[in-house]
Amino acid sequence: MNDFTGMEELLQDFLLEASDLLADVDSKLMDLEKRPDDKNTLNVIFRGFHTIKGGAGFLNATELVTLCHLTENLFDKLRNAELQLSPGLLDVILAATGEVRLMFNDLGRGVQPQSAPQPILDALEAALKGNAVSLSAAPAPAPAPAAPVISTALQAAAEKGPDWNALYQTLVGGVATPAPVAATATAPVVVAEGEVVVDEEKLKQSAFGRRTEDVPGRSAASASRREAEPAAKDNTIRVDTDRLDQVLNLSGEIGLTKNRLTHLRNDILGGRSDADTLKSLDESVSQLDMLVINLQNAVMNTRMQPIGRLFKKYPRLARDLARQLGKDVELVLSGEETEIDKTMIEDLNDPLVHLVRNSVDHGVESAEERAASGKSAKSMVYLSARQEGDHILISIQDDGKGMRPEVIRSKAIEKGLITLEEASALDESASLNLIFLPGFSTKDEISSVSGRGVGMDVVKTNISKLNGMITIDSAPGTGSTFTISLPLTLAILPVLLLRLSDQPFAVPLSMVREIMSVTAEGQQLISGRPTMVVRGEVLPVRSLASLIGWPDSGQSEVGVLMQVGNQSFILSADGFAGHDDVVIKSLDTFRPQGVAGVTMSSEGEIVLILDIKELLGEGNH
Amino acid sequence: MADPNLKILVVDDFSTMRRIVRNLLKELGFANVHEAEDGVEGLNKLRSEGNFEFVVSDWNMPNMTGIEMLRAIRADEKLKHLPLLMVTAEAKRENIIEAAQAGASGYVVKPFTAATLDEKLKKIFATMK
Repeated sequence: MNDFTGMEELLQDFLLEASDLLADVDSKLMDLEKRPDDKNTLNVIFRGFHTIKGGAGFLNATELVTLCHLTENLFDKLRNAELQLSPGLLDVILAATGEVRLMFNDLGRGVQPQSAPQPILDALEAALKGNAVSLSAAPAPAPAPAAPVISTALQAAAEKGPDWNALYQTLVGGVATPAPVAATATAPVVVAEGEVVVDEEKLKQSAFGRRTEDVPGRSAASASRREAEPAAKDNTIRVDTDRLDQVLNLSGEIGLTKNRLTHLRNDILGGRSDADTLKSLDESVSQLDMLVINLQNAVMNTRMQPIGRLFKKYPRLARDLARQLGKDVELVLSGEETEIDKTMIEDLNDPLVHLVRNSVDHGVESAEERAASGKSAKSMVYLSARQEGDHILISIQDDGKGMRPEVIRSKAIEKGLITLEEASALDESASLNLIFLPGFSTKDEISSVSGRGVGMDVVKTNISKLNGMITIDSAPGTGSTFTISLPLTLAILPVLLLRLSDQPFAVPLSMVREIMSVTAEGQQLISGRPTMVVRGEVLPVRSLASLIGWPDSGQSEVGVLMQVGNQSFILSADGFAGHDDVVIKSLDTFRPQGVAGVTMSSEGEIVLILDIKELLGEGNH
Repeated sequence: MADPNLKILVVDDFSTMRRIVRNLLKELGFANVHEAEDGVEGLNKLRSEGNFEFVVSDWNMPNMTGIEMLRAIRADEKLKHLPLLMVTAEAKRENIIEAAQAGASGYVVKPFTAATLDEKLKKIFATMK
């Protein structure tokens, strides 16, 4: 099953390092589009492929070596100015880079990669022979009018799986783009002298055929290869040695403090309890307290990773998508150095990919629309991250047409997601939030690019899972901004402890707006449900006991005004037991409804941390 | 048999590759292996520590390439006798000639096995005696 028995560690190292390298190469390729002659950039890319090739050789990944070798040679010629970069050539290179990534995925699953698609190899070979697919020395972005042709063709190809897009782009890039008549798009492709002449149809067939027919036993493998793509998660982490040293330092100090405490314990057990001994005890415990907090922070710091590692994949994504759609979009990154918990980085990828796609696909307008409204042809999308207090804010902003609340409202009514009455009660921001409803899509048809069965509702769910929030700002005509707010870490949670008879329960402090006393007299029944009026606001009262399915003790004395999403309500309980910063232990295999995890109180009691959203969901059914 | 304490410097910008070379050297019985991630760091280490006895260097590296480092070593009065094995991904004729002219003691093409490395090292040690 595994082609790399005995080499697992080497393979892991290679993948970790080579993936970083490839991500760098990808972002440099984007730079190259702007400055095609930059020697330094060309050099870095050359070295990237060269290095990957060298490592791949030791893993006996011959196909990866072959692909990198060709690409590397191409860059050798480019950096020596023996070749000129053309948009067509760049497409070939991007397709090759995509293929390298797929091969990494294969390696990640312990499988030797198969040969790269022949058209890519052929195109690389042809380009190497100087049969360059460029017309002019100065490369220009793909001519926009040709793009619709490309994108229709792509949609057809997309049925076979999204990765054929890249492949097909190779063909389109290799043949159609450089032709001067591409601007008219309908004329037959005219190929300049010295260029590769490829029968598109034939190539397409052979391209599909290679993986589905020509290679026995390959079709199933290639299908699963594509599906398994996101499966390759890395289980290793890179940590700055300074941070590790800090952890080491602190554990050393904790060891010393422990020794002192052991000594004091012996003294006390031996009957010494004079003021000096007690003072020493107090000091030692305080010191231990401080050291443990520092250690927790230091350990947490080792898990923090710059978000740029995630961000740098997206300019390529945005570019590819924009080209498919015939748009000219630049994704600008900022705040890449902002650090965020490693687990969150992984879980953020899907929502961010979707938001980037959404901005490029739905956010920004087509070239014609932009021209009509007097905007520059190039659309800008800004992806930024920053830390604000104990939260991380990630925002994605486009300069597109924005969203009109009334359009969204009528769409939601049309789709039967809300009623007319409900719609009329919604203000602007609530209307925009309708796009997070399952089943909502602002475009009538799911396009081949942002389809994939993932909608904005999934984005919202994923963000909520990380205890985060997502908000929308939109100005019709000038653009939309999505802002994701996330806690710095998921591992430590400030909670409020509530008591129900003798049992403490924890609720996240972030959801607590205020605490108050609750009396039977203060409550009114409205349509059979208890409510309370707080400063003019009528709020439902839900007892914790009934939410978790306990018999109501009738002793509820305290209430917590909770804010869950857009909903506010009062959670009543028997009493408070204080507040605490707790370390959540998740219940991996056994997870009762409404319980987010468990922790231990300072008295050593087991405390359940409640998932209020889930409890409410249950209660509403 | 090889001297297990022979102080070796492995210069490569790709840490995976440094690890591979280190493991292969370990297989051959060399345990005193140090690392540098490019020519600049390599040269610094060679100059500041002064007691390296052997260098295994990649060719293609940022900041200072292997061949540039090799030329600097051969031009340095204190280091010029230091044996250096050049590692590259190519068996291109002009590269081999260039390396030889710059004063490389040996040349090995990636990927290589412990046996290949052993053979190259033996050859170099033989010419040194």
